[in-house]
Amino acid sequence: MPDHDEIFAKVCELLKPYNPENRPITMQSGIVSDLEVDSVAVFDLVMGLEDHYDVSIPMEMVSDIKTVGELCSAIKQLAEE
Amino acid sequence: MSLWDKYGTIQGRLDNVKKLINRDPLGVEFDDIMGRTRGRIGNREIILAGTNNYLGLTFDEDCMIAAKDAIDAHGTGTTGSRVANGTYTEHVELERALADHFKMPSCIVFSTGYQTNLAAISGLTNKDDIIFMDADAHACIIDGTRLSEASTIRFRHNSPEDLDKRMSRIKEKKGEFFVIIEGLYSMFGDIAPIDEFLDVTHKHGGYLYIDEAHSYGVFGETGCGLAEAQGVMDRVDFIAGTFSKSLASIGGFCVSKHPEFEIARKVMRPYLFTASPTPSNVSAALAAVGKINSDYGNELRQNIWDRATQLHKGLADLGYDLCAEPSPVIAARRPNEVICAMEWNWLLENGLYVNLAVPPGTPQSSSLLRISLSAAHTEDDVNQIIGKFAELKDVQPQLMENLMKLAG
Ligand SMILES: Cc1ncc(COP(=O)(O)O)c(C=O)c1O
Repeated sequence: MPDHDEIFAKVCELLKPYNPENRPITMQSGIVSDLEVDSVAVFDLVMGLEDHYDVSIPMEMVSDIKTVGELCSAIKQLAEE
Repeated sequence: MSLWDKYGTIQGRLDNVKKLINRDPLGVEFDDIMGRTRGRIGNREIILAGTNNYLGLTFDEDCMIAAKDAIDAHGTGTTGSRVANGTYTEHVELERALADHFKMPSCIVFSTGYQTNLAAISGLTNKDDIIFMDADAHACIIDGTRLSEASTIRFRHNSPEDLDKRMSRIKEKKGEFFVIIEGLYSMFGDIAPIDEFLDVTHKHGGYLYIDEAHSYGVFGETGCGLAEAQGVMDRVDFIAGTFSKSLASIGGFCVSKHPEFEIARKVMRPYLFTASPTPSNVSAALAAVGKINSDYGNELRQNIWDRATQLHKGLADLGYDLCAEPSPVIAARRPNEVICAMEWNWLLENGLYVNLAVPPGTPQSSSLLRISLSAAHTEDDVNQIIGKFAELKDVQPQLMENLMKLAG
């Protein structure tokens, strides 16, 4: 099972291309509000995570996720199912 | 604090662009639309190359007469939904004509293309079903999945293998799989490999729904769209379309090879709870269906494809980075939103209207100068369009200089 830190590292890695100004990423960072990733790009990021962890993250779940930390928790939960 | 605080980001973006070009690029006002390919702003005549008026039927004599006759016969509005206020003969005739055109048993018309997707997607799926949606799907498909109670999973654009992988990931399935793609994609102008999507979808026991909003009328031997062009129309479960492009009106439709589709009329909220399309809109579309499925339709298709080849070659020769193979939608990728807006504005000020397309309305966060061609464009019109894009290259240094000045 991937732990939270490992997932956080992966999320940061996959966020890179959507964060050209290299803003610092923390668990509390708002994906759209702080990092200014556009709403479609968030879904692209999610596809990469789905493939890496072999899970399905439905779009309605993504819409409820606001911060990097929430995204990590969602992946952890789905990977454990 | 106020209701408007949340619009800070979008207001800032708009203000930035307005500072550069002195107008709202998403709110262009024409003083006149003189015909299928010409408009006017002030005293400047503009070539319209962003209308989605693919077959140029908006000013077709027969379509206009059909619309006017319908107003004379049945008035200007339906004043309500078909469920509450009844069905007009025009609705029945158009549904029959479209069902016949597609050789399918069932067709339902809607008040817009947007509502077609809202209605069909939300009506055909429930909480036990799973929707698989192409990553580049139009906003109204996304909104349809939001109105649905079903879970929605996005797959990589135009990739049947990726769809297969994502469908295979679902181990327990309570309901049905519902796969949504488009025919011709509206932003890049690329097309779906429908036969491969059919194979994957049906292998997993799912249903395939195709939005042919941009392909109906321009693809296929009789103009039914891309599924017809690829010879697989009889295998597709649902095909949706709009009246607002090739059909030169306002409204939308969905046909199905499943006669059971009729029951959806009783559950689709964007069908039940909105006014049905007007007799004149429906009659104009009916006349247009007749044109599309005729020798004249073949001539129009021949012309739009000739123009597409001509324009694609012209822009490629100028070195523009085009998003797809030739089709009635041709989009050039630009470096960023600001440069794209300045170029778009220069084109408009020099007599050419194309679409400025920016994120999040575009795939891959791209900024595009998007052209949609019409069968009404002449060879000379397209040469003029290419000429404007050539001049745009020449004035590039000047545009950049202005940009630097304004950016301080
Ligand atoms: C793929 C697609 N589907 C549906 C629509 C909506 O159609 P309408 O303008 O008739 O609401 C559009 C564009 O407007 C579209 O591009």
